[in-house]
Amino acid sequence: MKIVVLVKQVPDTYEDRKLDTAAGLVDRGACEPVLDEINERALEVALRYRDGNKGTEVVLLSMGPEGTASALRKGLSMGADVAVHVLDSALSGADLGRTAAVLAAALRATGFDLVIAGNASTDGGGGVVPAMVAEHLGLPHLTFLDAVEISAGTVAGVRATEHGSLGVHALLPAVISVTERSAEARFPNFKGILKAKKKPLQVLSLAEIGLDPAFAGAGRSAVVTAAERPARTGGTRITDEGTAGEQLADFLASARLI
Amino acid sequence: MTAPTSTKPAPARNRWSRLVWLVPAAILVLAAVVLAAKGLRELPAVQSFLTAYPGESELPHGAPVGFPAWLGWQHFLNSLLILLIIRSGWQVRTTTRPPAYFTRNNTGPIKTRGKPAKISLHLWFHLSLDALWVLNGAVFYVLLFATGQWMRIVPTNWDVFPHAASAALQYASLNWPVENGWANYNSLQVLAYFTTVFIAAPLAIITGLRMSGAWPKDAGRLNRAYPIELARAIHLPVMFYFTAFIIVHITLVLATGALRNLNHMYAARDDTGWAGFAIFAASLAVMTAAWILAKPIFLRPIASLTGKVTR
Ligand SMILES: Cc1cc2nc3c(=O)[nH]c(=O)nc-3n(C[C@H](O)[C@H](O)[C@H](O)COP(=O)(O)OP(=O)(O)OC[C@H]3O[C@@H](n4cnc5c(N)ncnc54)[C@H](O)[C@@H]3O)c2cc1C
Ligand code: HEM
Ligand code: HEM
Repeated sequence: MKIVVLVKQVPDTYEDRKLDTAAGLVDRGACEPVLDEINERALEVALRYRDGNKGTEVVLLSMGPEGTASALRKGLSMGADVAVHVLDSALSGADLGRTAAVLAAALRATGFDLVIAGNASTDGGGGVVPAMVAEHLGLPHLTFLDAVEISAGTVAGVRATEHGSLGVHALLPAVISVTERSAEARFPNFKGILKAKKKPLQVLSLAEIGLDPAFAGAGRSAVVTAAERPARTGGTRITDEGTAGEQLADFLASARLI
Repeated sequence: MTAPTSTKPAPARNRWSRLVWLVPAAILVLAAVVLAAKGLRELPAVQSFLTAYPGESELPHGAPVGFPAWLGWQHFLNSLLILLIIRSGWQVRTTTRPPAYFTRNNTGPIKTRGKPAKISLHLWFHLSLDALWVLNGAVFYVLLFATGQWMRIVPTNWDVFPHAASAALQYASLNWPVENGWANYNSLQVLAYFTTVFIAAPLAIITGLRMSGAWPKDAGRLNRAYPIELARAIHLPVMFYFTAFIIVHITLVLATGALRNLNHMYAARDDTGWAGFAIFAASLAVMTAAWILAKPIFLRPIASLTGKVTR
């Protein structure tokens, strides 16, 4: 079985993230780029299946700028077999639609039985790329899985709903997206890091995945304005003199939180 | 609900720019101390004090002469462990995002009623080293008292104090006391070793234990009398004491007949050959290797043997 995991490199949330307000793009120099944690979990789901099933191939696929290779190496050191990087200057500032179209084209090029994505990225947080990819490929899509069960011809999982949980399943090939609860990602070990250096990391341009940069339906959105979030103000301090409870309730009521 | 504060550390320049006046000031103070000590040694009263108290207190009758081999081993293991203990302790203090967390499996030989707490990998390393260090120290204490070797580092006569003052004066005047550590340490050494072995080490243990998960949380009266804040306030200065001791200790070992001193401690012999130096060099190589290998990537698999390592 060939499992492709969609991974994205994102700015580390641990540091202060910045927006280049003039260009309307993420300021990638502002903090360290890392492999998105949700994608490490998605990769873990794939690796757990491979651990128990010889002959499984785990491929990482990412679309992103130059530095994305380091995130892919991290994924390879965790145990993925191959990485594919779609790199093209025409992709700078790609929006959700464009991202999904490119990923779908790349998936057609690499081939797959199962595609695993994160439910939403840490930076863009759109939460719709996986669904768009599935639509492009005309495949079944299981979203927001808290638990995943992969078997030879099918994939099944559990997704939480407002009132309980839902067991879902689909025939392969399929696209799924997983949540934070799906799996606890493993750490790369020393052997993994050494091996990752020798694993293939393929870089593909748009032309190489069969897309004309001006591909049809690629209406591209542009950021018109971007502004920095205003600094937080002091807030209200409540000192308990026996009435703190009432004051808290009043505060919540006045903010329409209860 | 606090106003936003900048998380960026102050520019490093500020920290180092202080050295511009600190270093010359320190040199001046040292020079003044040396001159004052030299001046003092000219005084007849001081000269007769130095004659009466040459710098080492007589050992009790029957004290052993020389260094047994076990002392060399204990001393080396202690050096290796304390190097890593200081580093891991410092990492516990300064790391804001630990590389991993550790939760002990509550199944093996150590089983507790309470649920084991999740601690940082740094703290796991610190505590694991501490356990080995305490074990090493316990063996050292037993051997020390079983062999009479304790008499060499425990003052047995009040005259260590004038002797130590005499030795200090001799060091300060750069006319160093003639010592023969094989037979007897000078009194300043005795006081320093005693403080390290019998005051600083127990303090580190009792304050460290208080902060660790091993300390009972519901010992009401005890915990009010000995609050965790007190332990934290003592633990760190104890580390500073150890660091200062180690720097001065190694400097003096190397400056007062390095080959002979190293032979004492590392080869259990009293000559000026290179055997002690060779073993010392090998021990430095081991310490360097341990320092380099003590990385999350290698610690994680070891930690996973007794617990769960997570993010
Ligand atoms: C400053 C800024 C301005 C933006 N402006 C617009 C705009 O005007 N219009 C618009 O539509 N979008 C805009 N975006 C969104 C941006 O284009 C998206 O972040 C991007 O398309 C990917 O979507 P996402 O990260 O929200 O994906 P999500 O749907 O949140 O991602 C879910 C999963 O899809 C997979 N995935 C997502 N992206 C990739 C990738 N590049 N490579 C491999 N796998 C991937 C991963 O598995 C991920 O976990 C803007 C983003 C920024 C930061
Ligand atoms: C690698 C660095 C070190 C070297 C080279 C070194 C060397 C020595 C030497 C040569 C002696 C014997 C002194 C003499 O003959 O006059 C000695 C004794 C001693 N050292 Fe160190 N030392 C080191 C690190 C440490 C550390 C880290 C500690 C404790 C924190 C320590 C504690 C002691 C003590 C307590 C003694 C006296 C032991 C006894 O006689 O019972 N040393 N050391
Ligand atoms: C048995 C011995 C020891 C035990 C049980 C112990 C335990 C601990 C614990 C539990 C902490 C974490 C405190 C916290 O959560 O903030 C800690 C921190 C630390 N330890 Fe130890 N320790 C021991 C010995 C030592 C020694 C010998 C040194 C150095 C010589 C040392 C140096 C430090 C330092 C520098 C810190 C950070 C302190 C701070 O943040 O203020 N420890 N230790």
